[in-house]
Amino acid sequence: MGRRRRRRRVDPADAARALPEAIAALSQTLPAGPSPETFRRAKFDRPEAAPALWRLLFRVLSPQLADGASASFSPEAQVRSVKLALRTQGYPRRALAQLPDDGSQGGRELLLALAWLLARGPLPERLLTQNRVQLGDEMPVCECEALASPGPPAPSVEADGCVDIRHLQWLMGKLRFRWRNLMASQQEQCALLGKIHSYTRGCHSDRSLGHLSVTETELLRDPEGGRQLLQRLERENARLQAALEWRRRELVFWRWMDTVLGACPPEASQPTFLPRIPTPGTGALEPLVRELQALQGELREAVEARRAAWEAGVGGRGPEWSAARTALREAVGQDLAALRQACEQGGSCSLAQPHGPHRLVRTEAGVAGGPGLRAPEVIEALRSQEARLEVVLRQLQGQCRQELARLVGAPPGPVWILPPGR
Amino acid sequence: MCHILGSWASSASAQVPTDASPGCHHLTNISKSGHSLLPCPCSQHTLAELRDALDSCAERQRQLERSLRVSRRLLRAWYADPGTTRLGLPRAVRTPLSDPGPACIPSPQDLKELELLTQALEKAVRVRKGISKAGEGNKAPSLKSGSIVTSPATRASAPPRTSHRAGSRASETKPPRGIRQTRVPTKDLPECRLLSVGDQACMGQGAGDTKPKSGLRNEQIVLSAASQAPEAFTLKDKGILLQLPEAFRKAASRNSRLRRNNSRKGQSYSRTQGLSMTRMQSGWPGPRLSATEVEAEVRHLQKACLLLRLRMGEELMADPQDWMQEYRCLLTLEELQAIVGQCLHRLRELCTGEACPARGRFPRASLPCGGGADPIWSPQLLLYSSTQELQTLAALRLRVAMLHQQIHLEKVLMAELLPLVSKQEPLGPPWLALCRAVHSLLCEGGQRFLTILREDKPAD
Repeated sequence: MGRRRRRRRVDPADAARALPEAIAALSQTLPAGPSPETFRRAKFDRPEAAPALWRLLFRVLSPQLADGASASFSPEAQVRSVKLALRTQGYPRRALAQLPDDGSQGGRELLLALAWLLARGPLPERLLTQNRVQLGDEMPVCECEALASPGPPAPSVEADGCVDIRHLQWLMGKLRFRWRNLMASQQEQCALLGKIHSYTRGCHSDRSLGHLSVTETELLRDPEGGRQLLQRLERENARLQAALEWRRRELVFWRWMDTVLGACPPEASQPTFLPRIPTPGTGALEPLVRELQALQGELREAVEARRAAWEAGVGGRGPEWSAARTALREAVGQDLAALRQACEQGGSCSLAQPHGPHRLVRTEAGVAGGPGLRAPEVIEALRSQEARLEVVLRQLQGQCRQELARLVGAPPGPVWILPPGR
Repeated sequence: MCHILGSWASSASAQVPTDASPGCHHLTNISKSGHSLLPCPCSQHTLAELRDALDSCAERQRQLERSLRVSRRLLRAWYADPGTTRLGLPRAVRTPLSDPGPACIPSPQDLKELELLTQALEKAVRVRKGISKAGEGNKAPSLKSGSIVTSPATRASAPPRTSHRAGSRASETKPPRGIRQTRVPTKDLPECRLLSVGDQACMGQGAGDTKPKSGLRNEQIVLSAASQAPEAFTLKDKGILLQLPEAFRKAASRNSRLRRNNSRKGQSYSRTQGLSMTRMQSGWPGPRLSATEVEAEVRHLQKACLLLRLRMGEELMADPQDWMQEYRCLLTLEELQAIVGQCLHRLRELCTGEACPARGRFPRASLPCGGGADPIWSPQLLLYSSTQELQTLAALRLRVAMLHQQIHLEKVLMAELLPLVSKQEPLGPPWLALCRAVHSLLCEGGQRFLTILREDKPAD
């Protein structure tokens, strides 16, 4: 009884404030967030709210742009970029694609798009992670970032003329040279980092770190740069704080979004959705299909051969056989569980390898040390990866060699003298 | 008669010298007769892939160069700040001169502050002169030299001390009414041993007394006067004395605390989404995969194919000792076959555009790796104990990246070049040259070439 009465005595002013506060928190944690008043106007599709929301969506959907770079995009370009990005991510509402390119309309649709993005994943947190202020010397321990980058854009259909194979040879040589340069520069950078870390040991207030990083030393050398770094850090802190606030209050926002959805005019007949962007051409997937089919073929051959050998063989009869068989099946299942998981689970990086950027910390050898990855372990993991990849490369090269030998033909064709030993 | 094509040469553009002997055809003859042309449409794709590989390498190099510049600069000498702390930095250190190039010119703000400082010290000296009736000429040098401060402890005594020294040296300088007007030929500053090589190059540039340069020299006077007891700060000697400013420390610890809190809060996120997702999506059709997601899945399947192939290779090479191992091998291969089948099925789904997101995972295409579950993590630590270790680690990482790229390019080139060789049938010299080039690209990574010996029927 008493509890119910207490609840009813909640100040209606508090309830009224909850929504603007929630929106304000959301707006502060997002880049270029407009005021709560703009959100309210957008619900009623007022035209003055639209430009701010277009700008917000642009910043949210292209986080890789630096703070000032978005100004170089015209409003039309921003609108088009937002539409394309939403389509690429699979946004289903057609009404947004039909909004005019000058960015003068569409407040409500934009609100819905924003809500859709927020509902799909931890958007504010992701944005804060992508552009975070890096205070330490970081090194990624895996290559996932590089591998995830999309390949070259599809070439234009018109061709400039034929290409000499020697041009390809030249490009490959150039690539080898660039890698060698890169390796040398990387070694130098590691040597310098090692020196800086050891010269500044004991300076850091955080005991687990022990020494200063390049960024921190740089801010001591250059106070102006240090001031700017401090400002960026404080801005980020404000956004992080706002993200916490947002998580506390977001329920109110979602309830409000329901009303926004309700305020939309009902979509004509069935909810129309945009025709999907055609998948990156079955052409692009063809090589992979062929590879998998080839693999399947090889496996089938191997399995058939071995099964035939097994049936014809002597082993595996008798009562204890079925128990052994079940045990073996289980063992194989467990063995391959990790592999199966890696193949099935969407997008997860390979089995049990360390991932992500790590902050480098120099410690004395032999010191037990606190939490964190140890370099020898990472080196081990990388070495095994290297070995595996080398095997694959050799296999591919071997395949090519066989194929070429076949094509050039048996004697009395030419004799091939391979280059001297490996 | 033998026609020898090629040599052991490893350069991509081997120039075989023409031989006068009649019986031998050399590569030059063949190369002169015609290019090994590649048909147009596919070759553009191959070129694009190669250029993309070159660009990504160049991008890494650029980033490395940037870090290298910063690190090299930190390991050179810095200079003490003439003045009190800035930004609340105790023992503020500043390098007005250590950057050759655009940073040679001190900023207007620096010049202004220097001017204010010198005016203040001017006044101090006047007062002091009034008291002690010291016979120092009231020239500028005494003022400028007073601005050298290296540690707070000696600050109080520095101005009177150094003013004596400087007065004897740079006596030709004029009062700093306009700092720009100072004219001191560079040869008056023999003790500029504190300047690094780059700075001397900067100094040597301007023969004329342009405004920025004289501002530069002004500061050089300041420093040379202090060179009596050189206070060049090097990280090597005095790095241990550094201390981060208070404001920064507070902000940094707040930052890591907020990140920790945010990652905890992130877990409650999924609960609220359950409510809103259903309402929001009720009017909308079932989720289909977007183009980025399809791409991500395709890449993932490529990796899976690689892993499966590797595993198959291991199994095929294993030599079973007894019937149990044999059976186990058989089971493994069957299991692999099943997995490959599933991957193919998924791939076909993606091709036809009928694919739905796999079992309840969020679109991962845009999440950084390793951060999938926890997007706001602060980076974990990687502990190393020697420079050697760090270098090995970095080198291995690059090697893995390079191998990935090589494998990818190998596949691209295979798809492009093998059909080319099989299409052109005639066993004439141009085709053999093409074979040789293709062999080197595909089988030796473009690094080595083979020799083709061809038996020719005697002409007569």
